[in-house]
Amino acid sequence: MKTLRQADIAGGCFLAFLGLFILYAASNIRLGVERALSPRFFPSVLGFLIFACGVGLAVKSWRFRGEDPGIHWPDRQGFVIVVVSLLLIAAYNALMKPLGLPLATFLYAAASIGFLKPERWGVAIVSGLVLGAVSYVVFIRLLDLSFPMGFLFE
Amino acid sequence: MSFSFEHLFRGFEIALTFQNIFWAMVGCFIGTLVGVLPGIGPASGIAILLPLTTVLPPTSAIIMMAAIYYGAMYGGSTTAIVVNIPGEASSVPTAIDGYEMAKQGKAGPALAIAAISSFVAGTLGLVGLTFFAPLLADVAVAFGPPEYFALMFMALTLVISLSGRALLKGVISMALGLTTSLIGQDPLTGAARLTFGFPKLLAGIDFISVIVGLFAISEVMVNVESRITAISQKIGSWMPTWADIRQCTGAMIRSTGIGFFLGLLPGVTPSVTTFVAYDVEKRVSKTPERFGKGAIEGVAAPEGANNATSTAGFVPLFSFGIPTAPSMAVLLGGLMMYGLQPGPMLFKENPDFVWAIIASMYIGNVMLIVLNLPLVGMWARICVIPFYILGPMIVFFSVLGTYSIRFQPFDVWVMLLFGVIGYLMRKFGYPIAPMVLATVISQMMEMSLGQSLLMSQGSVLILFTRPISGVFMALAFISIARGIWLQIRSHAPEVAVEEAD
Repeated sequence: MKTLRQADIAGGCFLAFLGLFILYAASNIRLGVERALSPRFFPSVLGFLIFACGVGLAVKSWRFRGEDPGIHWPDRQGFVIVVVSLLLIAAYNALMKPLGLPLATFLYAAASIGFLKPERWGVAIVSGLVLGAVSYVVFIRLLDLSFPMGFLFE
Repeated sequence: MSFSFEHLFRGFEIALTFQNIFWAMVGCFIGTLVGVLPGIGPASGIAILLPLTTVLPPTSAIIMMAAIYYGAMYGGSTTAIVVNIPGEASSVPTAIDGYEMAKQGKAGPALAIAAISSFVAGTLGLVGLTFFAPLLADVAVAFGPPEYFALMFMALTLVISLSGRALLKGVISMALGLTTSLIGQDPLTGAARLTFGFPKLLAGIDFISVIVGLFAISEVMVNVESRITAISQKIGSWMPTWADIRQCTGAMIRSTGIGFFLGLLPGVTPSVTTFVAYDVEKRVSKTPERFGKGAIEGVAAPEGANNATSTAGFVPLFSFGIPTAPSMAVLLGGLMMYGLQPGPMLFKENPDFVWAIIASMYIGNVMLIVLNLPLVGMWARICVIPFYILGPMIVFFSVLGTYSIRFQPFDVWVMLLFGVIGYLMRKFGYPIAPMVLATVISQMMEMSLGQSLLMSQGSVLILFTRPISGVFMALAFISIARGIWLQIRSHAPEVAVEEAD
């Protein structure tokens, strides 16, 4: 999808299917006690709206013949950076419970900064240590929030 | 409940306690920082911190949240003037003349006039809020469920119609936001809706995960892919001359009026009013050719409009419980989190709370000018923090804020998913504001429609036959018709205007 027209046709089709799926899911909602406003009402209306707008968007874009603006996708290296950044956030979340907030924060920050700026690994490790310490002192000790502590601090 | 000095003085009494002054100062500092730093806006800043403030009493927490919002309006000009990076869409007009001034070695006076204009407009806007909000709350007492539903419906249609040429995409964005907040148990019958058999979805999707994902995470993704570079400017002397201030006085007052009165309307965010104020200033100027080449009024006008609009947004929030912009929607969510229902009854049932917030905003404005003028050099240096450090820091706070909603990794997965959705929405030109507003007001809309239908034994005509709700519904349909007309006339592809959070 290099142009907005292509993206809108694909996006419109996807949204039309999503709308149908929501309509199907809405029809399966248990009704229970009778109410003035059924629990199916809003999901059904929204499912239909998404379906109709999706079809409308796809058709409008299909018929569009003017100047088609491109989409500013990143280059190959940019894509790798975005995907790895997302994977690092996912790993941070997954490691939060087993390792605890301070250690997971240190690992995330060090790995993330080190990845974005490979020539500054020293800065990455120091930043990781600082953020890990902040997470422990401020959020666990001072604010007494129930973040996982991990094996290091339990 | 009309305005009374007694209530305002009582508000000052509460706002001037040590604890509330402290949290207002923390909010002003964080707000300025949020405004200064590219990659994080007030909506995501407030959303990230909201769950972490549960340790505070409600008044202190909301004082801090409000201070973050109006503080961010002060800070937003710094990146625009010093490095020509408008951190938000509302700072674009500031960058036009501000950066030109910086290149001429006048970054200091430009930053100072931005702070002074923000202070003047913020304070005048607060006077408007002090008198307008209780007046409108009096009107809103007469509102029943049909009026509320019609008002929220009108607010959503206005937000969509102001999304530039992207009417269909605006409707889709709103519908997706409403659908997201329906996931979970129906509040009245307990029936599971759109959970697809996943027990985790029964508890619903928290709006904070959605907002942090849409704004903070997607912004990080956009910035890491393009690798922001910054060019440092010399600040020099930060004091503007008296001639500069005299030259800007008219601009400050005009932009306050424009920003405040337009800011009362749903969907009219600072990103709209700053452009209007800049354009008006250029038209009334005797030397319009100076604009774009470093005219100081070109900095004062958008900065004034920015702050007046942000203050005006509190009028419909406090009197009707209607958010006009994403940041206001997050604040509304914050109020509801503390069991407070904004609207006319807020002035009646919690006068101490609401007047303390208003009084704290006067104090916060003074704090902000003190914080901004002498420390302008420090803020300018902060805004050039490299993104390879700033990005992971934003993620750290986003994960912390989202995780602490229910202390479940599930909310962070939702945040991550909406981060990707927000990234794709930006790429494909979908407006984000309708989705955010819809996510927050969805339950109120469903509740008020349900109550309206109960009142009318199931007839939707009640929305059209009562005078106030009839007017709101008519305005909503006019707004829809205008949007459709613009769509038919426009032969361009659907692209949303750039929006501020």
